[in-house]
Amino acid sequence: MTTESATFERSFHVEGITRVEGEGTLHLTVHDGQVSDARLKIFEAPRYFEQLVVGRAPDEVIDITARICGICPVAYQISAAGAFESIFEVQIDPQVRALRRLLYAGEYIESHALHVYLLHAPDFLGYASAIDLAKDHRAVVEQGLALKKVGNALMALLGGRSVHPVSLRVGGFYHVPRRAELEALRPALANALTQAQATLDLVAQFQAPPFERPVRFVSLKHPAEYPLFDGRIVSNDGIDVGIGEWRAAFREEQHEGTNALHARTLSGETYQLGPSARVTNAADQLHPIAREALARIGLQEEIARNPFWSIAARALEILHYCAEALEIIDAYLPPAAPFAPWTPRAGAAGWGSEAPRGILWHHYETDEQGLVRSAQIVPPTSQNQGQIEADLRAFAPAVLSLEHGEATRRLEQLVRSYDPCISCATHFLDLTVEGA
Amino acid sequence: MIRAATTPHPRLGVVKLASCDGCQLTLLNLEDELLAIAERLDIVEFPEATSHRSNGPYDVVLVEGSVSTPEQLEQIHEVRREAKLLVTIGACATAGGIQALRNFADHDAFRAAVYAHPEYIESLATAQPVADYVKVDAELRGCPINAAQLVELVTALLTGRRPNLPDEAVCAACKRAGRVCVMVAQGIPCLGPVTMTGCGALCPGYSRGCYGCFGPREQANVSSLSRQFISLGRSPQEAGRLFAGFTGYAEPYRDAIVELGGLPGASLAGERAHRAMGAGVNAEGKS
Amino acid sequence: MTNVTKSAIGFLPRAGFQHLIELLAEDGRTVIGPTVADGAIVYGEIHHVADLPQGIGAEQAPGHYRLVHHADERFFAYAVGPTSWKRFVFPPTLALGESRRDDHGHVSFGPAPREIPRLAFLGVRACELAALGIEDRVFLGGPYTDEDYRARRANTLIVAVQCAEPAATCFCTSMGTGPGIRSGHDIALIELDEGFIVTAGTPAGSAIVTRLDLAEATAEQLTAGADQLAAARDRIGDPVVTAGLHDRLLAKLESPRWAQIAERCLACTNCTAACPTCFCTSVSQRSDLDGHTATTERRWDSCFTKGFAAVALGGNFRPRVQDRYRQWLTHKFATWIDQFGTSGCVGCGRCITWCPVGIDVREELNVIAPPPQVSAGPAEAAQPHAPRSSVFRVEGVRRETHDTVTLALSTPDGIDWSTARGEFVMVSLPAVGAVPISISRRLPRGLELTIRAVGPTTTVLTGLERGAEVGLSAPLGHGWPVAAAQEHDVVIVGGGMGLAPLRPIVDEILAARSRYGDVHIYYGARTPSDVLYTEELAAWAARDDLEVGVTVDRADATWLGRVGVVTHLFDRARWDGTKALAFVCGPERMIQATVNALAGRGLTPDRIFISMERHMECGVGLCGHCQVGPFFVCKDGPVFSLAQLGDVFGREGI
Ligand code: SF4
Ligand code: FES
Repeated sequence: MTTESATFERSFHVEGITRVEGEGTLHLTVHDGQVSDARLKIFEAPRYFEQLVVGRAPDEVIDITARICGICPVAYQISAAGAFESIFEVQIDPQVRALRRLLYAGEYIESHALHVYLLHAPDFLGYASAIDLAKDHRAVVEQGLALKKVGNALMALLGGRSVHPVSLRVGGFYHVPRRAELEALRPALANALTQAQATLDLVAQFQAPPFERPVRFVSLKHPAEYPLFDGRIVSNDGIDVGIGEWRAAFREEQHEGTNALHARTLSGETYQLGPSARVTNAADQLHPIAREALARIGLQEEIARNPFWSIAARALEILHYCAEALEIIDAYLPPAAPFAPWTPRAGAAGWGSEAPRGILWHHYETDEQGLVRSAQIVPPTSQNQGQIEADLRAFAPAVLSLEHGEATRRLEQLVRSYDPCISCATHFLDLTVEGA
Repeated sequence: MIRAATTPHPRLGVVKLASCDGCQLTLLNLEDELLAIAERLDIVEFPEATSHRSNGPYDVVLVEGSVSTPEQLEQIHEVRREAKLLVTIGACATAGGIQALRNFADHDAFRAAVYAHPEYIESLATAQPVADYVKVDAELRGCPINAAQLVELVTALLTGRRPNLPDEAVCAACKRAGRVCVMVAQGIPCLGPVTMTGCGALCPGYSRGCYGCFGPREQANVSSLSRQFISLGRSPQEAGRLFAGFTGYAEPYRDAIVELGGLPGASLAGERAHRAMGAGVNAEGKS
Repeated sequence: MTNVTKSAIGFLPRAGFQHLIELLAEDGRTVIGPTVADGAIVYGEIHHVADLPQGIGAEQAPGHYRLVHHADERFFAYAVGPTSWKRFVFPPTLALGESRRDDHGHVSFGPAPREIPRLAFLGVRACELAALGIEDRVFLGGPYTDEDYRARRANTLIVAVQCAEPAATCFCTSMGTGPGIRSGHDIALIELDEGFIVTAGTPAGSAIVTRLDLAEATAEQLTAGADQLAAARDRIGDPVVTAGLHDRLLAKLESPRWAQIAERCLACTNCTAACPTCFCTSVSQRSDLDGHTATTERRWDSCFTKGFAAVALGGNFRPRVQDRYRQWLTHKFATWIDQFGTSGCVGCGRCITWCPVGIDVREELNVIAPPPQVSAGPAEAAQPHAPRSSVFRVEGVRRETHDTVTLALSTPDGIDWSTARGEFVMVSLPAVGAVPISISRRLPRGLELTIRAVGPTTTVLTGLERGAEVGLSAPLGHGWPVAAAQEHDVVIVGGGMGLAPLRPIVDEILAARSRYGDVHIYYGARTPSDVLYTEELAAWAARDDLEVGVTVDRADATWLGRVGVVTHLFDRARWDGTKALAFVCGPERMIQATVNALAGRGLTPDRIFISMERHMECGVGLCGHCQVGPFFVCKDGPVFSLAQLGDVFGREGI
């Protein structure tokens, strides 16, 4: 961290934001108490995924796009599978669908527990890392690790491993578990449910910096279930488009000095995705256990207005997915076949799913053999980036009076509340400008 | 060779180049060992997990990711200077990773295809494994690395013995686990026979063929295996794509891909790609 | 209904088969038998007849296996699948022992906790009975035995079922193991459409059969069974001519075919894993983060892996895949006979079906060693078990060179080691590893080991300080025949670290100097700073009853002695080789050159002894790593006379 203080101009510069996935730089310029520029620069090396998948078969694309992000590979696999299943009109067996929710639940529990305990809690409690935190509060960190482990165990059972699982394919899975294998996870999940409650109570005691602003929350919305990989794309201010129609409401643009593309609404406005957006837009679809818990801690308003409270929304989703996972396991009957067969054809479709950080949208065009002709991948962090910068601009004046280091830490904490996954945000192709 | 750590609390750094973070996440996924490891190793640099930063010196540094920008090239030399032991972790660092498939194509064309303003994007013409630029003392393969192998590496470091990281084929682990060969019994192409073990023969256990994420084993006979893929009914292009995964840039997978007709999305820019691919792929001689 | 007496032949109707499964379970056994999983008939737990592959068989060809459905209701209408029974008596991974080492360097060794399951094997084929018989010789017939195997084997009851549906890959007829069941079973079954002809082979088997309360099989049933067997035999034919195969194959070590096979061979190890008799293993350590408690783990290995033929101090004696394939095939069909008195192949065809690229040993044998004369050696008798480590303390450390030290070790248990035979010991350190090290001196209450830091284990060993403890096996292997040299001249030639195992010879000679003729000691090292035992060499040189010559490959400013290869030390010497015995140890190239030079001076092969210790791994004849031609270096050597080695000596890739 470097400081340049001048009488009129002050700049905050964080070279390499830590405790986020990937690499980014935060730069803020302040003139006379007014923020003149806020920039979250992403300098993650470009990896050109949208070009790498051209000419590849759908099942290969599922495995390749997972490598965009090691933190949320299931999100990439599910979004890609959804797009291809939409092109090839594959009907998914309800039990297979339930298993996909279960796999995704594992990713939510793992990713959120990682963020809540290892990445974000140290901010609220004044530590540089969870390892430092563990020196004073070992039990707290151990609880986080235990939750994380359950999420990983779910993914490992369904997908072979938690980072880049190997089981998902177009139409379903390569292999589905036996009932007894799922039931073996029940005790650990039941225990996790209790720990998730404790997590929620823990974070509810945290002090969030006072900061409130109205925001456009965008999420999926499904009539019957908490949004995951089905439904429509909606906002709390009236956007409502089909899951394949992201382009009907949003667009991507490239800015100098960053390797990530930014997304805006068609009218050029910023928006927020992720746990706070989902909890706000779909509170009524939370599992009853989670709904009750939300009522108990009473932070619904705060989650909707103060980005720092995303930590509570995350804790709530851990609870939701522990409860839902238990229900899926109890109702599981192995499907007749692990996957539905499909016939390749030329076509195009988009599909989105709610990654832990928000909507991850894929769009593919295929040729007659089903091979990819072109691809567009819009990850959540590049959609959140505009809102992060807007929040930084709005929040910075409140910390200007603080000692520089402390002020910088607060700004970083704000960035971290979006759980930005910078690895995800780097690679993307603007199809509208130059096709493949 | 990995030698006994000399300091009581060896200084560990975790450094990232072009990658997905999945390999370093594997360290955080050691839920049962993480705190114990943190008590025995001084984690001085691990930006994904801690705000403490250090530019070295390190007793051990784990490097994730391939070298694909000019800054990363500088960074890896600097890290090498500061590190007693440099261990590459994962397919990106050991073989270039999935992004190294762009090495089969013309970089400028590729960049232009992906970005509306290619001039904003700084990247090297190729994405290369770390060992193409600096000496590597040990490597953990895989996309991602295997948690048990990571624990084995850390334990070996702390106790001063040789990490037990066999270089045999995936098949050996597959058969010890009692799995039925998917290729013989179901006709599913599998890279297991030419791929290095370490994953626990995961994919055959999930009724699919190995996709080679641990990269080629020693003396991988890719031509015999690709002939077999073709006799199982795959076209040469399909067979080539099987090798073009997360370690597709590693020899001899790379040769197999070229021999089978190159990559679909990336028209092979002959001369140039070949020149770029000249360098050795990984440090087999770990001792 | 007449009860079947012990010797009679009974008939079990198909409907009664569940009863047999239940009786086996009541006998306290987990029943393992054929069941369908992952597209194949594999061996797994059987609780009920419904678990058996009723009406299911398999089509097999080189590199190809597919399940097929039969019209009939038979349970055992298939030929052997991918699993073999060795998995249950010789587990793929096994904890061998547990060891500890505390912060003060105290070490302790103990066995790993182990549970030996009580099993019944259901559906064992004739070829598989033969395979178990071969494994019995391998694990229980040598100088050291595998006690885990013995316990598992003893705890298993075998229900054999005669083959009626051989696969296109079967050749048990050629190997003389099937398809008819002859011995090795507790109970034998012949499956007919309506049920099973049952005979008992052992008292344990007949105890079960008696409880089945069977009617006697009818003459028609017996005829149907015999016809079925004859038909199976006809279907298989005699694909491999085995007469004289041993010699024919060993005569073709230079066949161009090996290289051609290597173009197809993936060296993937599937054949050795599928083989019911392949027994090679490797051992590694697993430990906690601090290395305080460790488990020694054994796992299946294969002569097809590169690491398998890696030798101590660097190098690999089977670098090419063609070397490895040749080792496998010649071992299976030829040198196995020299080692164990039986072929290593039972003709089950697994290596053919489960080779991913379909290499067919039958075809390869016929091409490489086309027909016909039989040879067989005697089987060895069972002897004591593999030794366990005893704790030794480091009494002194002498630095020999920058990377080599000599440890003086003593045992607290008071055993006199000065007379113990054997050439080397297995040195183990918990959580670090175990390595064979040759004895460089015998002491009244211990011994000296000279160790060079080349790998991590030896790096840790060379860093040990006075007071540290290590585990040592009893001395192993056949050492130098020093006594045979009495009344003869002796020529001792060492290269590099090779001087260490030769030093006890000098000690022994000097202890009774008058019994020997002239003694010549020649030693070559890479550089002056690599010279071992400098003071001792000087002291020997100072005696007038020893001739000592030392040379280095590369001199430095301090070196005024000879420069060049070790053979130059005696190429102008006047002694007469025809009266001498020679003891040689060092790197392979040095041994080769020395042997040539000695032969040139009239030493016959029976009087030149060399040590091949760099090949060893487990040291006790079980892991298979050290095999060279028909020999296990560890138990047949490591010291061999050239006459003994014959043309195995110096051949590439053996
Ligand atoms: S090797 Fe695979 S898991 Fe590891 S960083 Fe690279 S893409 Fe991610
Ligand atoms: S059999 Fe293991 S070293 Fe000889």
